[in-house]
Amino acid sequence: MTTTDRPAAPPVRTHKEDRTWVGRSIRRVEDPKFLRGRGGYIGDMTVPGMLYAAVLRSPHAHAVIAGIDVVEALAAPGVHAVITGEQAAELCDPLPDFGPNPAAHTWRCLAVDKVRYVGEGVAVVVADSRYLAEDALALIEVEYEPLPAVVDPERALEDGAPLVHDDLGSNCAYERTFDFGDVERDFAEADVIVTDRLRWHRSGGQPLETVGAVADFDHATGALTVHTNSLSFTSYLFMVAGTMKIPANKLDIRPVPAGGSFGSKLFATKPAVIAGMCSRQVGRPVQYLEDRVDNMSNCDHHGSDRVYDVRLAVMRDGTIRGVDIDTVEDYGAYIQFGVGHHGNALAQVVGPYAMTSVRYRVRAALTNKNQQGAYRGFGSEVNNWMLEQMVDKAARELDLDPVELRRRNFIREFPHFIPTGNVYDSGDYDAVLDKALELSEYKRWRIEQAKAREEGRCIGIGLITAQERSVFSATEFWFWFDEPGAPVTSMPESVTLKVDATGGITATLYSCAFWGNSPETMVAQLVAEEFDCDPHDVSIVYQGSKNGLPATGPGGSRTTVMLAGAVEGATAKIKAKALRAAAHLLEANPDDLEWVDGGYQVKGVPEQRKSLADIAVMLHLFKHSFPEDMESGLEDSKVFDHPYTTMPSADRTDLGVFYPFMGHACHVPVVEVDLETGSVSFLAYAAVHDCGTLVNPRSLAGHIVGGTAQGIGTALYEEFVYDDDGQLLTSSFLDYLIPSAMEVPELRIAHHETPSPYTLHGIKGGGEGGRMMAPAAINVAVNDALAHLGVRVTELPITPDRLRAAIRAAESARGRE
Amino acid sequence: MKPPPFQYAAPTSVAEAVELLAAHADDDARTLAGGQSLVPLMNFRLAQPGYLVDLGRIEELTRIRTDGDTLVIGAMVRQSDAEHAPEVALRAPLLAEALGYVAHPPVRNSGTVGGSIAHADPAAELPAVALALDAELVVVGPQGTRTVRAADFFVGPFATAIEAGEILTEVRFPRRDGGQSFVEFARTHGNFALVGVASVIETDGATIARASIAMSGVAPVPVRATAAEETLAGSAPDDASIRAAVDAAVAGLSPSGDAHGSAETRTDIARSYLRRGIELALTRAQDRR
Repeated sequence: MTTTDRPAAPPVRTHKEDRTWVGRSIRRVEDPKFLRGRGGYIGDMTVPGMLYAAVLRSPHAHAVIAGIDVVEALAAPGVHAVITGEQAAELCDPLPDFGPNPAAHTWRCLAVDKVRYVGEGVAVVVADSRYLAEDALALIEVEYEPLPAVVDPERALEDGAPLVHDDLGSNCAYERTFDFGDVERDFAEADVIVTDRLRWHRSGGQPLETVGAVADFDHATGALTVHTNSLSFTSYLFMVAGTMKIPANKLDIRPVPAGGSFGSKLFATKPAVIAGMCSRQVGRPVQYLEDRVDNMSNCDHHGSDRVYDVRLAVMRDGTIRGVDIDTVEDYGAYIQFGVGHHGNALAQVVGPYAMTSVRYRVRAALTNKNQQGAYRGFGSEVNNWMLEQMVDKAARELDLDPVELRRRNFIREFPHFIPTGNVYDSGDYDAVLDKALELSEYKRWRIEQAKAREEGRCIGIGLITAQERSVFSATEFWFWFDEPGAPVTSMPESVTLKVDATGGITATLYSCAFWGNSPETMVAQLVAEEFDCDPHDVSIVYQGSKNGLPATGPGGSRTTVMLAGAVEGATAKIKAKALRAAAHLLEANPDDLEWVDGGYQVKGVPEQRKSLADIAVMLHLFKHSFPEDMESGLEDSKVFDHPYTTMPSADRTDLGVFYPFMGHACHVPVVEVDLETGSVSFLAYAAVHDCGTLVNPRSLAGHIVGGTAQGIGTALYEEFVYDDDGQLLTSSFLDYLIPSAMEVPELRIAHHETPSPYTLHGIKGGGEGGRMMAPAAINVAVNDALAHLGVRVTELPITPDRLRAAIRAAESARGRE
Repeated sequence: MKPPPFQYAAPTSVAEAVELLAAHADDDARTLAGGQSLVPLMNFRLAQPGYLVDLGRIEELTRIRTDGDTLVIGAMVRQSDAEHAPEVALRAPLLAEALGYVAHPPVRNSGTVGGSIAHADPAAELPAVALALDAELVVVGPQGTRTVRAADFFVGPFATAIEAGEILTEVRFPRRDGGQSFVEFARTHGNFALVGVASVIETDGATIARASIAMSGVAPVPVRATAAEETLAGSAPDDASIRAAVDAAVAGLSPSGDAHGSAETRTDIARSYLRRGIELALTRAQDRR
């Protein structure tokens, strides 16, 4: 496809230069309530008459449920109901599922007929307390007939592997190969083809608070109200209502703040459905809040789990021509989001490099594990890691400086369409790299590294340059199919702004409440920028799905850009009305007025002015001071749709624009490897991010620090380990290791700002922060520390076991020489 | 993740506690010390005692005192109190150093010295310290008081010589001269160690007079590295002796592996940390002289 074939880009915007609030590190407006313990989490909610639910989890990875005896549990003290999977299947339809073939891998809130992973729910007990509910769980007798489990994704795809879903007929839920650009030519003409096999094991977001819901079904009206720390599902309410088998207009989902998500609460419908089903059954409000083992084994939100076979076509001068990626992804027992994770990867599959072709083969394997969901990066961070390992390997094979090799391939003209069809809106990768080299004291560390090596110490420097795509489009969930079942194109986010009679501003947000990101601070700063007020004076409230406006929710670093668009749109409507009102009150022509410092005034006559409060009080209380057609009040909303999406081509050689606002970063960790123990420690860590115009530098720095900490977890510590029988060996924080402040070094952070031409103020998303980069950078650093010993690690996390095994292998290889 | 029902009593004397344990033996009565191991086990429902005898109000178990050359630590002394007690720093620096590796400060503020030793987790620090220092464990039961040597105390993973109905009341650390060190390798700070090494080394001019070395994490119980001790005794305090001692000790190890470290990795780490621990204790022994 040539450039002329492409649909037109949105108009290039001119950005306001003298911003008052956008770009300032104000204190977060959310903090006071959370610091006072007044956040209002699900666990804090008490509703009169509320009961508590607990789920019985499968101890088997794969087994037929031959029978369930609940008689004793039903008779236990304080028990109101016991619902088995079979009964649940009558009460509820399958859960909302965006997978490739939902009918062939049916996903329900409790297992029916057979269990497919350790931790899958088989029954739920409703009791007066969670204690009593758990006591009753112990009295349920389930007769299991164990089946052989399939745990390895490549084995799952072999003939004769045990089938996770008999109806599917195989464990391959999806397979397709895409060619973008002239792959054959790039590889035929390449001087060198660098190949590798890489393995990224599964980890997942670990929020302090697990997923939960309080549901209250009113048998008098047939209405179900659910408070949940997931989404309000306004755009997809009908799907949840469908699962509950109630009309969508009888369902109200109200968002409450979440104690962290990192993606893992995205579209988390199961707890809400379980609570709703139980409430309808017992006629009282029911709380279901996962405990830690529930969450770790049964949250439906494990992260990526990939095997890669990759080839990189490179010229001797370091020019990268193309990449050929063959990946098998272990999705676990279900596949709720399809292979959207690979859409994320395809959005930035070439990284910041100007290569011209991409081959991408993806196979989605089903295994006896908890299914994947979302985890900060949604699969694109895995691609970043894979690509940077390949680029690093190319530099070693070509004996080129790894920094210069990267720089040689940088994209420098924007907007730039990558081979898959997605666009990079803007960027300045040289500037970020230069800043990172300086901030990290790269040259000094190279000298330190050489000195240390003379002492027998292994220091490694891991410079990587990588992308952070932001603001996803729905197309990435369906362009996989020639005839998609649901080719949805809406991804809206909404804001309502109300100026009360005193001039005070309230912003209403939809999709979800606070998730650990800072939507309230973002909106307060954006509103303050528009209305010249103090952001701490802006009141922020949330609205549930009942009366809620279309809203998709956070994910893919979209919140700030989308809320900014909605705030801008709602502001424009309010200001238009305020302008007309002011003109009327000042007996002036609207064209003669201008917005200055929080009000409208006659150009050149500043004493002829009406502040927003002056206008608001008139509009609220003095209807008869205005023309007949002006309504009382000053309130308006904006449903802001994705600002830049284009459709994929019919033959899928071009996927269109689906992730246009492209951030970039350079991370430079310096590590020391202890050869004797296989442990890795940090000597320094520098990170420079560019996600366009900053709204609040401090909160973005929080995303970078927190994301990097998670990336350190992914690189060195965190792993859901399933043994050969499918037992989950790391189902609590005793065994699932999360880095603490002791393992995370002090970060040196710098920002660079390359505004987007297409968004308000030039903002891009940055919410996935350091996790996009850190695993790649740490792996490169470890390999840099050990390259002279012939050790190269190709598997994450880099545990003492894996590192020692690699060191031992290299030692014995040297011994043989 | 809630515990099953249990009854609870908080006596104020050892005698009363022993009586309660006897009276509720049929309910699988257990003593509760700092609750840092038992309570999580109960929340996971891996332990389901029907009756808990909380030792937290027994004043007599909370004292640190000296008895001649012996440092006596009441079983209910909080780990953080022992960690910072001047008597401990003076008389059993190995214990003070090891306490710094026990989980995190909030855990040590509740956890007790006696509780950790009686729990006998094979990866824990304090059992190895007790073993290296030849501590004596004082146990009180319906038949009265008896004293068990550390070498006889740890009988298996999470199993000790404490009989049903008995309570660990005191840990007695005899005075040891020389250099002491505790080192351990844990995957993250404060987590259970893969390998811990407690060393006490006394030098006598140009030779090592005596070495006591105990290891955690490499066997179902904490073990003395007897082969290393014997190799070191009488040898010169140099690298060759240390290497020989480490080789001798490692040859006798057969740790089991888990998700955090294979047997091979644990052996590699044991080799490394034995050397580090011995070197450190030796340096300290030489500094003391």
